[in-house]
This record gives sequence, structure tokens and C-alpha cells, in this order.
Amino acid sequence: MAEDGLCLEALTRRYGAVTALDGLSFSVPTAQVVGFLGPNGAGKTTTMRAIFGLVELEAGAVTWRGRPIDAAARRRFGYMPEERGLYPTMQVREQLEYLGRLHGMGQQAARGRTAQWLERLGLAERADTKVEALSHGNQQRVQLCAALVHDPELLVLDEPLAGLDPGGIDEISEVLIEQARAGVSVLLSSHQLDLVEDLCESVVIIDHGRLVTKGTVQELATSGAKRLSVRVESPADPSWARGLSGVTVSEVHGDVLRLVLDEGVDSDLVLRAAMAEGRVTEFAFERRRLSEVFREAMA
Amino acid sequence: MKLGRELPILGVLVVVVLARLFLRRRRGAETAPTRREPGRSLRLGAAFSLVAALFGDAGLVASREIKERARGRLFRLGTLAVLVIVALAIGLSTLSHHKRPVVDVALVNVPARLHAPIVASGAAAGMTVRLSELASPQAAAAALRAGTVAIAVEGTDRIVVNKSLGTASTSAADQLARALSSELGAQDAIRAAGLSAAQAAALARARPVPIVSLAKSTNTSEQVASLIGLPLLFFMFIQYNTWTLLGVMEEESTRVVEVLLAAVRPTALLTGKVLGIGVLALVQAGLIVGVALSVAKATGSTLAKGTTPSFLAAIVIWLLVGYAFYAWVYAAAGSMAERRDQVQAIALPLSVPIAIGYVVGIIAQASANASLVTKVLAYLPPTAPFAMPALVGLNAVSWWQVLASVLISVVCTIGVARLAAVIYRRAILRTGRRVGLREVLRRERVRAA
Repeated sequence: MAEDGLCLEALTRRYGAVTALDGLSFSVPTAQVVGFLGPNGAGKTTTMRAIFGLVELEAGAVTWRGRPIDAAARRRFGYMPEERGLYPTMQVREQLEYLGRLHGMGQQAARGRTAQWLERLGLAERADTKVEALSHGNQQRVQLCAALVHDPELLVLDEPLAGLDPGGIDEISEVLIEQARAGVSVLLSSHQLDLVEDLCESVVIIDHGRLVTKGTVQELATSGAKRLSVRVESPADPSWARGLSGVTVSEVHGDVLRLVLDEGVDSDLVLRAAMAEGRVTEFAFERRRLSEVFREAMA
Repeated sequence: MKLGRELPILGVLVVVVLARLFLRRRRGAETAPTRREPGRSLRLGAAFSLVAALFGDAGLVASREIKERARGRLFRLGTLAVLVIVALAIGLSTLSHHKRPVVDVALVNVPARLHAPIVASGAAAGMTVRLSELASPQAAAAALRAGTVAIAVEGTDRIVVNKSLGTASTSAADQLARALSSELGAQDAIRAAGLSAAQAAALARARPVPIVSLAKSTNTSEQVASLIGLPLLFFMFIQYNTWTLLGVMEEESTRVVEVLLAAVRPTALLTGKVLGIGVLALVQAGLIVGVALSVAKATGSTLAKGTTPSFLAAIVIWLLVGYAFYAWVYAAAGSMAERRDQVQAIALPLSVPIAIGYVVGIIAQASANASLVTKVLAYLPPTAPFAMPALVGLNAVSWWQVLASVLISVVCTIGVARLAAVIYRRAILRTGRRVGLREVLRRERVRAA
């Protein structure tokens, strides 16, 4: 898996007494959107900068398709930094063409792709506008175009969805999924965990520069203790589940109990106990929301 | 040169420059809101592609720098203002120098044979004499009081002015009055001596003997040119290096630098910026020198005559060498600032060596004396751009000394460029507080160890 995508191995970087990256390792496979999560100051931005050689590492290596990243490889990456950066007084079209050319495109190709991306993100009418005259959302779209204009093989996006309205979020999410389907590796950081859950196939959670957990969204949502949601209509004993061994009641909402089952506890035991209490109208395994996974990982 | 010939030249010059700028801006405005015309942009693009092909990434960066800055209103108006000021300064100084004062002289019963000597006296003193004949001394007195004439000559032996002449007065009318007083006396004496016509004519042709000084003249025309050349260098260095500094700072403060550095090496980015602004500096300097020389030539100013090829070459060479040296220093400084309010504190110490070089160069020129200090400073890269052309202007150095100084500067520039790239790379992505030079270099040493 690591061979065909981006691989970060034991990255270490200190700023004085602060350890920004502490032996961090993970990978971004080809044709996948990977969510990169962590609280503020966890080291996400430093990691992303390290991919582009903007941070000098004390130890560790970043490889792309099994090779150390050189200038030529880097030109085929697209980057959207956390602190957005464009020339405020330059026209949108010229700016994107310029960035395309800096990534090694010919003039005609840069012009063509710029026009296509502006069209795709609904900015064709604003092509000759100066960046500073655009709204925040449109500036964000231009910034995404800047990362996409040269058809990169790897997209590294720091908070690409921050500050967008729901329409903008949908639009950009759609573009990112489309890119991944076309074979692009996408690494994106975000604090909007529900969005990440919908958008990403896998996530990496870090804190204090260290890996906390990683895996596919599916794995993380179903791993750990099983969760059950059970509704019993008019139970004889509202606290019917409390006596069951290996079962913890995590929440009570009227007739609905949310239960956490210890490892090895059979859910049939719970079902039988519930049926003995009354009519069971709901009995479902619950996935963990990504936000729960995150909170548990941070706890 | 007559005033009438010079004004149209200046006028045409100003109109041509204004018209060009206006047309360019209108063209820009027409294309802005609509899709760009493919043909024109292709041609322009081809020119920039050539620059890009020659210098790779640095060429691309330089092209953008040139395109964006030349498009700016500030650049156009600034260039226009400098050109107009230079043209006016040279034109007007020449005009005032060449303008011949006109003095009106009233003649009352003056014999016709004296008319020519009166006009000739005025011409000898550098003024034009306009004669008018009046019928009576009373009429002449009235004209004097009214100010329609400055001097009245009555008969062969009487000169009347309105106010008595000051002993040290240098006004044209007073000078003419004194000259006429001698001239009429001389004419009277020639007549009284009973000389033949030929003898009288020979006396009338008497000319002052020229005075030759042993010491070399300090006001050679070459120095006039040098005095224009050094301020030009000073202006270019301060102007364009500040651009480099602000450009680097703005890329940092707008954070666009992170996007750029993800694709381009810091050295290429820095080189492109220095190269682009350097090309603009050279073009602007060329325009200024071109306009200055054209106006000087058209108005007959001594500026053009005095500019020897060696001095002109020295100015051009040191414009390039000096700019290259300082550009890296300013670029590195720019990477350590993040806001405009930090720029002043950073730029001030950098401008000190420029100011010292300039002052030393100007003093050497003005005193026509190649002092030891000037000769030493002519080999130090920060001050050489001023001291060395000053010495060239004074003919105080030989070609190999100039070459040696240029080589020292080039070698130092390479060293400075490398150091600047290190500082730039380490400081440019730091945000928040200003990064100190010592901190940047210390961190570099730690890494190297």
C-alpha cells in the first residue's frame, strides 16, 4: 500500500523545547481521500509542510511511490496551505496560469486547464477579477484551483472546507471525491469531523506530533465495544438492562436505551432480556460517529 | 539657441510620453473586463516564454515581476514624473543659460554711424538691443519713467537712465549703460583724433585678450555629467532595492510564498525577483539617460557634450554590479519582515552604506580631488558603485583598477547571494514576530553541525 502512494516514516521535528512531530508515520494510498485529524497544535500543518520540504526534519523520511521526494516529484503535488496565499492584486486567471507554469506546465496547457477549472468551480465570469475583490468563498475556490490546475498526483489540503457555506462544501467535496476516483491521493485536514466521515475513506488522528489512531472510517466506526440501541415499549422495569452482566447503559432517551456491550457479550442475551420486558420496536447496532472516535482517541 | 526652438521640443516630449501612457492604460482597460484577445496575448506570451526558457523557474518569476509591476499605476506615473523632471531640469537650466536679455534703448538725435556700435556693445555683453528713435529729450524722459525704455542716448555724449546705477549692479540694462558710456566715449575720442576710416575701423575691432588659467578648470562639462550620474545611481538603488524588500515582504505577509515554495526552490524564487526588478531598473535607467541625453542634445546643454563614453560605461556597469550586490541584501532583509511597519527599521541600516558611498562620490566630484578615502571605498562593494565612477569621471583610475573593483564586487555578490538564500529560506515561513538575523544564522549553524 505504501509503495504506490505517499509514505511518511518516523517524522521528527522540534522547535526549541516544543516537539512538533514525534516519530510520526502513516501513508496516503493512491486513489483515496484520507482525513488528517488532530486538535490545534497537534502537528498537522508541520506534517503537510514537511511533505513539501518546507520544514527541515531532524529525523524521518517522506517518500512518494517508494522514492524520496525531489523537486520534480513535488511539482506534481498540489498544495492548499492553511494560511491561504495568493497575490491579492493579480487577476485570477493570470495567477492560476502562473502557478500552473511554475508546476512545469506549458503555456497552452496552463491556459487550458485554468479555463476548465474556473468553469468547473463557477468562476469563469470572475477570471479577470483581482483576487482581493472576490468573496471569501470564491477566494477559497481559487485556492483550490491553484492546487488542482496542474493535474497533481497528490493533493495536500489544509482545512479545505473551513469557512465555506453548505453549497461550497458539497461542491468541493464532490471535486475531491472525483479526483480520488481518477487516481489522485488526497490528504486533507479538517475539524469538521462529520464532513470528514462522509468524504474520507480513511482517517489518521494525531496529537502532540504522534499517531493516535488510523484506519478506514468503516473500521474505526465498528471497532471497539459494540453499541446497541434498543426500544422496548412500556417496559415493566424501565431499568431492565442494568442487571445484565457485561452491558453498560450509556444513555437513556425515554424508551430508548443506548447500551455498550463488553467484549464477548452476546447481543442475543440483550434481545431476549428486552423481549421479556415488553414489545421490542427497535434493536440496532450503532456505528460510532467519527466525532466519538476522535473524542475517545483524545481522552 | 532661441527660446522659440526649445519649448516645442519639451512640449512634444511631454505630450508623447503622456500619450503613450494614456494609450497603454486605455488598452489595458479595454481588455480587462472581456476575454483577452488571443493574438496579442500570444505575442506577449511568446516574449515572456523566451525569458522563462532562458532562466527556467527564475525566468517565470522574473516575467511575472516585470508584467505585474510595469502594469502598476505607481510605476507608470513614477517613471513619467522622473522623466518630466529630468527633461525640465536639463531643458530649463539650458534655457535660462541661453536666454538673451532684451534691452530697449531710446535714441534722441543720435547720428546713424553710432547705431551699429550701440547694438554691438549690447551683443558683446550677451544681450539684444532694441532701438527706438524719439523726437525730444522730454519724450525720452517720459519713456524712461514709464519703463518702456531702459536707457536713452541723447546726441553723442549723453546717456540717461531712470534710476542711478548701483556700483555692483549686474542687471542687463545697467551693464549696457556702462558699456555704452565707454563705447560712446571711445567713439568720440576716435573722431576727435582725426583718424582715417580704416584706422577707426581697426580700433573698433579691438577685442579683449583671453585669460588662461594654469590650474585645470574645475567646472568641466564631464563633471556636470558625473553630477547627474551619481544621483541617478543613488535613486535607482534606493528605489529598486526597496521594491525588492517590499516584494519579498508582501509575498510573506500574503502567505503566497508557501504556495510558491511548494513548487519552486527558494533560490529560483529569489533570483527571479531580483532579475525581474533588475530588468525594470535597467529599462527605467535607460529611459532616463536617453531622455536626459536627447533633451540635452536638443537644447544644446553641456550635459551631452561632457559625457565621455568611459564615464557612461562606468555608470551602466556600476548600476548593474551595485544593484546585484544590494538586491540580495534587501531581499534577505525582506524575508525577515512581515509587515510594512517593520520595513523602516530594516531598510534604514541598509541604506547607510549607499548614502556614504553617494556622499563620498559627490564630494570627490565636486572637489575634483580623488582622496585616499575615495580610492579605498572604490574597492569595497557597498560603496564602489559611487566611488569608482567618481574616480573614472576624474580620470584618476586606469582600466585594470576598475576591472579589479568589479571583480571584487562580483565575487562578494555571489557570497552575499548565497547567504541571502539561506536567510530567506529560513526566515520566509516564520510568521508572527520578526525573526532576528542572529537567530536565523544560529539555527542554520545548529543544523549544519
